[in-house]
Amino acid sequence: MTRRMTVLVAGAAVATLGLTACSGGSGSGTAAGGDTGGSAKKVTSIKLVAAEYSKDHTAAFWKQFAEKYKAKTGNTLDVQIVSWDAIDQQSSTMIQNNNAPDILNLNAYASYAKDNLLYSADDGLSPAVKSDLLDAFVKSGTYQGKMYGMPDLSSARALFYNKAMFAKAGIAGPPKTWDEFEADAKKLQGLGNGSIGYAMPLGPEEAQGEFSIWTFNNGGDWKSGDTWTINSPKNVETLSFLKKLAVQDKVTQNNPGRTNRADAFNLFKSGNVGMVVGFSPLAADLDKDKKVSYGVAPMPVQGGGQPQTFGVTDYLMAFKKPGNQEAVKAFYDLYYQKDQVNRFIKSEGFLPVTKTGLQTFASDPKLKVYLETLPNIHLTPTDDPTWDKVKLAVQQNIGAGINGDPKATLDSLQKSAENAG
Amino acid sequence: MADDLRGTGVGAGSTATAPVRATGPATAPGRRARRRRARDRSSAGVALLWLGPALLLIAGVVIYPAIELVRASLSTYSITGLRLGDAGSKNFSHVLAHPALGTVLVNTLVWVVVVVALTVLVSLAVAQFLSKDFFGRKVVRYAIIVPWAASLVITAKTFTMIYNYYYGTLNLVLTKLRLISTPIDFLGNDSWTMPSMILVGVFVSVPFTAYVFVAGLNNIPTDVYEAARIDGATPWQTYWRVTLPLLRPALLVASVLNIIYVFNSFPIIWTLNDRNPGFTHDTTITFMYKLAFKSAEKDVGMAAAAGIFNVLLILVVVVIYLRTVRWQEEES
Repeated sequence: MTRRMTVLVAGAAVATLGLTACSGGSGSGTAAGGDTGGSAKKVTSIKLVAAEYSKDHTAAFWKQFAEKYKAKTGNTLDVQIVSWDAIDQQSSTMIQNNNAPDILNLNAYASYAKDNLLYSADDGLSPAVKSDLLDAFVKSGTYQGKMYGMPDLSSARALFYNKAMFAKAGIAGPPKTWDEFEADAKKLQGLGNGSIGYAMPLGPEEAQGEFSIWTFNNGGDWKSGDTWTINSPKNVETLSFLKKLAVQDKVTQNNPGRTNRADAFNLFKSGNVGMVVGFSPLAADLDKDKKVSYGVAPMPVQGGGQPQTFGVTDYLMAFKKPGNQEAVKAFYDLYYQKDQVNRFIKSEGFLPVTKTGLQTFASDPKLKVYLETLPNIHLTPTDDPTWDKVKLAVQQNIGAGINGDPKATLDSLQKSAENAG
Repeated sequence: MADDLRGTGVGAGSTATAPVRATGPATAPGRRARRRRARDRSSAGVALLWLGPALLLIAGVVIYPAIELVRASLSTYSITGLRLGDAGSKNFSHVLAHPALGTVLVNTLVWVVVVVALTVLVSLAVAQFLSKDFFGRKVVRYAIIVPWAASLVITAKTFTMIYNYYYGTLNLVLTKLRLISTPIDFLGNDSWTMPSMILVGVFVSVPFTAYVFVAGLNNIPTDVYEAARIDGATPWQTYWRVTLPLLRPALLVASVLNIIYVFNSFPIIWTLNDRNPGFTHDTTITFMYKLAFKSAEKDVGMAAAAGIFNVLLILVVVVIYLRTVRWQEEES
């Protein structure tokens, strides 16, 4: 082989490699390209990228699901489980490389709908399945009149309190108003020996959740109609109250603006914390440890309204790819069968998203406090793509309002929301 | 993103070996040039055959990601990662106009300079200790390798537990020793966060650096020490006038590698700083990651632009460092 030829061959090899690599990335524009569903050749294998709710149950559920799916449709379901830490990065990278999964399970969908990447319920969901979904979740999954985000499970937050500490501090029952809450937290903190009145996680992990539940119970909200109301007087009052608890009353754990939710839960599990806002997975952990005797109550209210339940739902969404429409429809049909969706929710310790699911779970006395409020659950504005950015801004910045000025913190968040829209 | 780090490493390695290879043919005699050229031709083919896999690897892990990085930095992306179109220089100007950029650059400077300086100082002492012959030296040597062998994320997670405000061992020990009366919030208090991270940075960098120095010390012939002793040099004089100058190549290699390594360090800052809002304690590397996936920007294009700045920054720093060091060499 002559040198020139060798060089040519090598050069060609490198060039090909480069081209292959580039073509992997550069075609992303076409992913948005309209209805390719019907005409193209039908696929026989689809890919699901799912969030890992728990090490023990998530993978096991999807494995049996994939087997059922194969038996029912003959299609293969390729399942990839990704941890919550990594899923934002992975999903973004997959879209960048024009390698979107067929089904993605995530806590947000509206930006994907806005980018025209998703099948709407009209194209991907059977009418029978859609009519079984709880109205609150249909509403939160609807972007510009069409439903794109299908709820996979839900959770509701409530006030968890340590019964032993309440008895020791001489408090009869869980607080019903913010004034009672503040007084109780002071008593609990006063027990001494490292006791903490209230564990308040306003660190980046889930700050929007902690703030939501407090401000919803003060008549505040993130949005009113189409207008952002992040720096509304009600919200400022809420953040100022949280700051007062932390800085003036000193009834919280150290540095609540920089405490992540997992750390707050760990403190509550250690038995030294009087109150924390929790959800069913925390209850499951506490039941397993059998160390803390706890009660669950509705959130205390400011201003005399009814207690509001703050809820969260995650979503399944289907990406428009040539020939996969029937396969994703079959996926949804199977997922929303009673024995599938409810099995998943039960094993992960969350709450149902369907009307039939409400009936299935009604027999569980531990879930009573959540289930009653579920149809009227108060969610964050996940139907607005801007929220996907606002949420990140809130997570990264709202904790600063505890050490700094609540009004200024919310003003700057309001500004970033208005600019992002 | 980690590919960038590997990229710099591989690139630096290949340029370092290039001059050595080039000296071979240059010293060969110039006679019978024709025959030699023919031989060269076939040997070049063989060489390419041997080099092929390595070249492909370099193309795959260095050149391709670099192309992709540049391409991404010139594109506009949706929050979902969908490419929306060309961006021109918009991403770069957004990075330069970012309100947190000043803080991030100062953090990076402090982080790199302090970690590398402390690492070199500590490692010099450790290496001196390890090069002595004593009972149990083997065990100590293995013990010092452990932090090097452990994954950075695991080390960082372990340190978050050690630093914990409520049940961290460090606060427990300091309280028991009555050095402090209330616990210190090592990771949440702004004045403690950077020093706490720097300690971990030094902890994980010392093993490698110390071993480079041990190798350097072993290369110093014993007769120069004998000569120093005969001349009546004190131990300090011996160390300052004999050991350190002869350790110079090892010092140079260790500090350049450490500068690159510490600059690109992601897991320590990411893990220890996870609770803090905003960019107060981020370096350029975590800043880049947050821009892509965690901050309100959530913009892959802007993060890619920040990534290019990172590569340029570390290249400039290393070149300046090497220039300065060589210049001093000529002076002395």
